[in-house]
Amino acid sequence: MTGRRVLVTLFRFQSVFGLVVVFAAAIVFSPSNDGALVFLGADNLLNVVRAISEIGILAVGMTLVILVGGIDLSVGSVVGLASVGVAELLTTNDWALLPAVFAILALGLGFGLVQGVASARFRIQSFIVTLAGMQIARGLARMWSGGEGVSITYGDGPGQAPVAFSLLGERTFNGTVPIPALIFVVVAALAMVLLRVSAFSRHIYAIGGNEKAARLSGVPVVRVKVLVFGICGLLAALAGIVHAGQLNFGGPNDGSGYELNAIAAVVIGGTSLSGGRGTVLGTVAGALLVGVLDNILQLNNIDSNVQLIVVGVVIVFAAGLQRLRPGRAQAGP
Amino acid sequence: MATACGTTHENAPGASAGAGPATQACKGPGAAKFTICMSQANLGEPYRVRMDDDIRKAAASIPQFTVNFADAAQDNSKQVEQVSTFLTQKIDLLIISPNEATPLTSVVKKAYDQGIPVLVLDRKVDGDAYTSFIGADNVDIGRQAGRYFKEHLLPQGGKIVELKGLAGSTPAKERADGFDEGIAGSGITIVGTADADWLRDKGQQQADALLKAHPDAQAIFSENDPWPKVPGSPRRTRARRRCRSSGSTGCPCPRAASRRWRPGGSRPRSSTRPAGRKPLPRRRNCSSTAGRSRRRRPCRRG
Amino acid sequence: MIRIGGVPVRFARPADAQRAGVAMIHQELDLVPALSVAENVFLGREPHTRYGVPDPKRMVRATRALLEQSGVDLDATAPVERLRTGEQQLVTIAKALSLNARILIMDEPTSALSPREVERLFAVIDQLRTAGVALVYISHRMEEIGRVADRATVLRNGEVVAEFAARELTASQVAEAMVGRPVQQMFTTETRPSEDEHVLMVDELVVTPKAGRREPAGISLSVGAGEIVGVAGLLGSGRTELLEALYGASPGTITGGRIQLNGKEYRPRSPRDALRNGVAFVPEDRRISGLSLDHSVLANTVLSVVDALARFGVVAAGREREAAHNAAAQLGVKLRTLADPVGALSGGNQQKVVLGRALLTKPQLLLLDEPTRGVDVGAKAEIYRILGEVAQTGVGILLASSEPAELVGVCDRVVVLRGGKTAHEFDTALAGEGELLAASMGDVR
Repeated sequence: MTGRRVLVTLFRFQSVFGLVVVFAAAIVFSPSNDGALVFLGADNLLNVVRAISEIGILAVGMTLVILVGGIDLSVGSVVGLASVGVAELLTTNDWALLPAVFAILALGLGFGLVQGVASARFRIQSFIVTLAGMQIARGLARMWSGGEGVSITYGDGPGQAPVAFSLLGERTFNGTVPIPALIFVVVAALAMVLLRVSAFSRHIYAIGGNEKAARLSGVPVVRVKVLVFGICGLLAALAGIVHAGQLNFGGPNDGSGYELNAIAAVVIGGTSLSGGRGTVLGTVAGALLVGVLDNILQLNNIDSNVQLIVVGVVIVFAAGLQRLRPGRAQAGP
Repeated sequence: MATACGTTHENAPGASAGAGPATQACKGPGAAKFTICMSQANLGEPYRVRMDDDIRKAAASIPQFTVNFADAAQDNSKQVEQVSTFLTQKIDLLIISPNEATPLTSVVKKAYDQGIPVLVLDRKVDGDAYTSFIGADNVDIGRQAGRYFKEHLLPQGGKIVELKGLAGSTPAKERADGFDEGIAGSGITIVGTADADWLRDKGQQQADALLKAHPDAQAIFSENDPWPKVPGSPRRTRARRRCRSSGSTGCPCPRAASRRWRPGGSRPRSSTRPAGRKPLPRRRNCSSTAGRSRRRRPCRRG
Repeated sequence: MIRIGGVPVRFARPADAQRAGVAMIHQELDLVPALSVAENVFLGREPHTRYGVPDPKRMVRATRALLEQSGVDLDATAPVERLRTGEQQLVTIAKALSLNARILIMDEPTSALSPREVERLFAVIDQLRTAGVALVYISHRMEEIGRVADRATVLRNGEVVAEFAARELTASQVAEAMVGRPVQQMFTTETRPSEDEHVLMVDELVVTPKAGRREPAGISLSVGAGEIVGVAGLLGSGRTELLEALYGASPGTITGGRIQLNGKEYRPRSPRDALRNGVAFVPEDRRISGLSLDHSVLANTVLSVVDALARFGVVAAGREREAAHNAAAQLGVKLRTLADPVGALSGGNQQKVVLGRALLTKPQLLLLDEPTRGVDVGAKAEIYRILGEVAQTGVGILLASSEPAELVGVCDRVVVLRGGKTAHEFDTALAGEGELLAASMGDVR
């Protein structure tokens, strides 16, 4: 490996290195309790992962969308819609667990596919399409729930959700690993493998790199984009289900602003907003980085407003680093 | 906190574990240190900022107390996460003003089950796994407002619009229910409602829309009071004029008393009233309506 | 060290150079399309009246004077977007003059110009030279250098390798200096076209571009197996539109006529559809429509076949690498590793990557639009050689080009288009560049 290649790798996985740095800083600044660092406590670390699991799931889908040069602003509202939907189906409509979950996943998939068709087939900018989708999903969520949160109670009686659904709020492996964190890890791992080995991923990157060239190279651009938006919607619905399960509650107003947090994780992860460049590993590290930052700032009792500022600075810093990235094509023949 | 030195604190039965640290705190100087964590639903509403400030002030006078604050910015998940983080820190007291009841219930229960005393402020959680609840009787607030409408504002009945809080939050529901109870049997009909999410900008916007949509409305019942409050705004002027021309008996504008009336009641039942404010007679705690000029100034006719 | 008028200078940014009287005319024009000629010339330094109010009249007057100075007849108030490429270039020259440029650097100024526009540009250059402006003229076109330059310098890998008196230089001399070895012959293309086996038959095809209308017209041509057929014609003659229609790149533009591929009716719905039918395409501008410059040579090379290489949607890294390797080796792409970004390669090597991608699909018909534009002499010769080899395997090739020499040198036959219609057809064994140009411009004999 030459020096340049080391540098390229470093930039490619900037958020991973960023995460290492922030992690180290968190250890240094962690308050201690009876001599043990609070930050490093297994309880705390798993809390961090659980806390980012919803945003992380969204960010994985968002990474794919951004890789094809799009954006999906609707995911936060879809989280709200899915959480209300699953709560209503399980309680008011007394559906069984699996049908309810699959119905909501299908709803998210369908919502994403429609947005994909609107933006890829009819060539409306995805920003606009999903901005509309964001409003529509929010409106649907409020209509479905009658504007009020849907509380989920468990049991066998009518209007009660199957007890299995409450597992989403639990921890597995002797009560250590939170289930949502586990779901996030599985989703991220699948996406990583998908982006590494599949022909589909080659098409995704090609479209983001140069859509016209991709089309002329025989890439089914519309189909790939529609599918990517579909996957993003599906993952948003999954995040919404996890959300409802964790809180025992379907909130029509929940998830607002999540889309921006997901985009932030993607950007910190080194994915270019113009598409064609980025990794899921980077996004995962980006999401973790924000989670660790929030955690250590709260552990040190730092004002939540300062937390916002710190995350803002990190985003700018991450985007700035990408500008310095070597190996960019030079202008001129 | 006023409760900290054992003056009056209303521990729920069975929460004696929580009483431990608080009593210890009063054993005098040199006693152990205590960490209090305050989880606030959001700091977008002025009275919540005030709530945090008062806690901070009260704790400042007791050197053994450290208070950590967290602001969930109206996000249930975030609040759950923040409380979970508090719990990893071996805290001695958790104060929480939940964003919404059900989502926060399990994490509050988790804290309570760990033996940490939990004070729930303003909005409730489900069940009884907390030490003490301090908040307003929202149903009663709504009911009294309704009665005020029925007896003083529009005794002959009439059309009104209602500006609600955050759909799904307990106070919003309870106040609306209470209000309905209060106006029951009168000729008052609610011709339009809107959700203002407890937020000032949203409230003003929604009030504007409501009044446009229902030009025949004679008064507004608003569940929160920072809403129809920008002096000199066109809406206010219009509403006032309408109030006058409607010929309803009595000014459909609130009395000064309603300034005390806020979501989650800064008129708590317990003794932990924010410092520096005089308590107000409960009876006068009634509605706020459009056309109110200022918070402290009673509306004058003409 | 750079000296201007004997004084050593060092430029940190273009503005420094401008102040020193050096101006550059870029290949990509940097004009604001919606603004007028005068507004573009004075962009950012509009003249003001004494009271600080913009003075458009003075601006227009000054622009007219500048245009006159270079012997150009243009309306100073016309929006730039309404001008032709050649005219826009003259605007950038006027802009440079307004900066009191003493040294004008032109980078491939004629690459997008029609022959008539080239003549006009040369007239302006002569005028400037008489006015005492020094010019540095960068070009791939030997004949232009012979015409406009006094001295010619050949660079290779950032070094000066030769200097000539421009009037005496011959194309082969320069080519040799550029490539670093004798170029025996530019066109070594050898084909053995089949007389009776037609890959492509186009009959009275009408292509109506979405933007702009064209009179009903018809294109008829055929490509035999192993034959290279050239498509000549000026800008707007329907050259590019024909190729794109044959590739399904702009579906819905075919409004009449029929196409037969290997004797079967063919009407491609998309590039993907065309590829599936054995038709591959090398687009005109590789940077805009050929390559994803940030991505690796590997990714760019195998893009068209990556799903065919996959099993159950999974691409084995080895197979992908092997395919790219073979393509790069066959075409003689010079690179360090397949992981390098394709944007880091030279123009010629980039073009070979695009060509390699098309060839990996094993086409029966290969469509090429200006395959050697912006490519150095060495790479050009290699591309011609490869085309010959490909044709010998029985592939039919349709090559659109604006360089008569290329068409005559490489193709077996040349079809001349004018106004979306086949105007003429030549056998290159019998006709030369002159006839071709004349036919393109409408001077049919």
